[in-house]
Amino acid sequence: MIVGANSSSDAARLVTPTMLVLWLVLATVPLWITRVGLYPYLGIEILIWSLYALAFNLVLGTAGLPSFGHGAYFGIGAYAFGLCQLDIVANLWICLAAAAVVAGLAGVLVALFISHRRGIYYAFMTIAFGQIFWTLAIKSHRITGGEDGLLKIKRLPADFGLVSFDLTDNVAFYYFVLAVFAVGTAVLWRLVHSPYGRVVAAIRQSEVRAAHLGYNVWLYKASVFALSAAVSGFAGGLFAMAQLAAFPDVMSLHQSGYVVMMTLVGGGLVSFWGPVIGVFLFLTARDVIGALTNAWMLYFGLLFIAIVLFRPEGIAGALSAAVQQHSLNALRRRGSSAMRLLVGGGR
Amino acid sequence: MFDLLPHLLNGLTLGLLFALIALGFMLIVGLMEQINLAHGSLFALGAYVAMQLTGPRPPLPADLAKAWLTLPLGWRYAATLVIAPVIVSLVGMLIELCMRRTYGKDPLYGLLLTFGAAMVIEELIRLVWGTRDYVLQVPSAINGGFLFGDLIWSTYRFYAAGIAAGIIGLVWLLIEKTSFGATVKAGAHDSEIVRALGINLSRLRLLVFVFGTMLAAIAGIIVAPIWGIRPHMGVDAVIPAFLVIVLGGVGSFWGAVVAGLLVGLCVGLAGAYASEWSLLSMYILLVAVVTFRARGLWGKKSVLEA
Repeated sequence: MIVGANSSSDAARLVTPTMLVLWLVLATVPLWITRVGLYPYLGIEILIWSLYALAFNLVLGTAGLPSFGHGAYFGIGAYAFGLCQLDIVANLWICLAAAAVVAGLAGVLVALFISHRRGIYYAFMTIAFGQIFWTLAIKSHRITGGEDGLLKIKRLPADFGLVSFDLTDNVAFYYFVLAVFAVGTAVLWRLVHSPYGRVVAAIRQSEVRAAHLGYNVWLYKASVFALSAAVSGFAGGLFAMAQLAAFPDVMSLHQSGYVVMMTLVGGGLVSFWGPVIGVFLFLTARDVIGALTNAWMLYFGLLFIAIVLFRPEGIAGALSAAVQQHSLNALRRRGSSAMRLLVGGGR
Repeated sequence: MFDLLPHLLNGLTLGLLFALIALGFMLIVGLMEQINLAHGSLFALGAYVAMQLTGPRPPLPADLAKAWLTLPLGWRYAATLVIAPVIVSLVGMLIELCMRRTYGKDPLYGLLLTFGAAMVIEELIRLVWGTRDYVLQVPSAINGGFLFGDLIWSTYRFYAAGIAAGIIGLVWLLIEKTSFGATVKAGAHDSEIVRALGINLSRLRLLVFVFGTMLAAIAGIIVAPIWGIRPHMGVDAVIPAFLVIVLGGVGSFWGAVVAGLLVGLCVGLAGAYASEWSLLSMYILLVAVVTFRARGLWGKKSVLEA
């Protein structure tokens, strides 16, 4: 399926078979998640972080830009959502839009400074800006609540004019997030496979070549970063709803590192869906291994090291290699049985 | 002007410590073109190992521990200053052996590998020593304070600044004035030629990495009595370290030293007038400098930009 997701016929579609199957599987999650010993809230977290990781992968996987302070935009989205709800207007749509817009503006600001940079200098600058936003979040006690965070955020009802859904229940909120996730994945898929996405991917392969082809590399780098920040902020807004609060924690260097880990472990460099696999693995591992031992990060860290060393293309890469290997083997088997038929057919 | 003086002095001391923290990081970046994000964790590990060695329960067999504890603290401290970095350097060695697979690939892989290593070391520290704070005992000769111009100064800060300046000087001598330094620099410049001359480049790189690790551990031991020993100290160290390197320019020794002093002054002065925002000041300094000078103050072009 992962191989299929990369085939050119799917690239032109708005909704691919992979997407449909994923959405359908995800839609059944609340029916069985408590039976396997987990809880609906984990499902919410996985969906939100998946959206965030997919947005992050726009920068890392598609554009090849190492952004190591991306937690900042997720956090800014969460704060923007909370502050909009508490101080301006308690309307779900306006608050979510505020989360995306404010994070996107922060992304534009940072992109202005960093889009001329490359490689490690780019990475360093994103870390520096991530730290600036994190420090601001912690030190601006009066606005953000400092280390205690912004509390009393409510899950506002999803008002569609004719009908309005109450989202306070975790299962209801799960389905809301799933709907948003479905729209988000379709939009991101189109974006990555649009002419714009192809130019961005060309920049990943060679900035110099893309520039010689006449593309404004700076503009593409800046815009893809801002876009990613906006979607990350949107996911952050959802996260503030899920947690009923916004904390500076998600903006720290550690948490920014986690989204890089999730994306790479899943295989964001080679597959659109890689980040989702990574988020699922990371968050379930956190809960399952974390229930058994205090040092679950130790094991996940070792897994991460092993993946960087032996499978830099991540789980999605390993899977697609396995699928290709499998089909290759199937082909060989078919070939040899055909040979047997030909050679030994007379007996 | 006169009330500014203590803050300037404080900033300079802090700056020397920042430069010391960044020194090992800088060596590995400058000579191997590899980013070692585990630098902070090795720094923390140095402090923890030193704390364990000088503390009341050293990890030794009973007889040996008794003999060790009869030594005066000053001796134990001096010995620890050598032993702890050697122990920590074994971890550095392990990291370098893993890192070999990433040489010649995108420098991002080395960075990610060391990020993973940092996480593993930090978790191991939590597992062994828990999350509580520890204090590193120092000999009474360098403890306490003295009166100077109406103010009480901490003796330890001056000791730490002096040691930092001394180590910076020694490292400079080693790189610039010995054949070892010349070989290492040549290896960074043109690995093919150095190999052709019959020099074992893998061993050379291992040595550089081990040396960088030892510097990280020493910095940890020196800084520990000022910052305190806690699991978070690694992150607190690696961020100023990378900041100093980028600000000074990758590959420039004096760039890093000057940048360290600059960051120290910046944090010191900001701390005096707006203590809440002292941390922010160094990031703003970085952004301001790198916006106008893309490669920091004295940076050279390197593969890290590719």
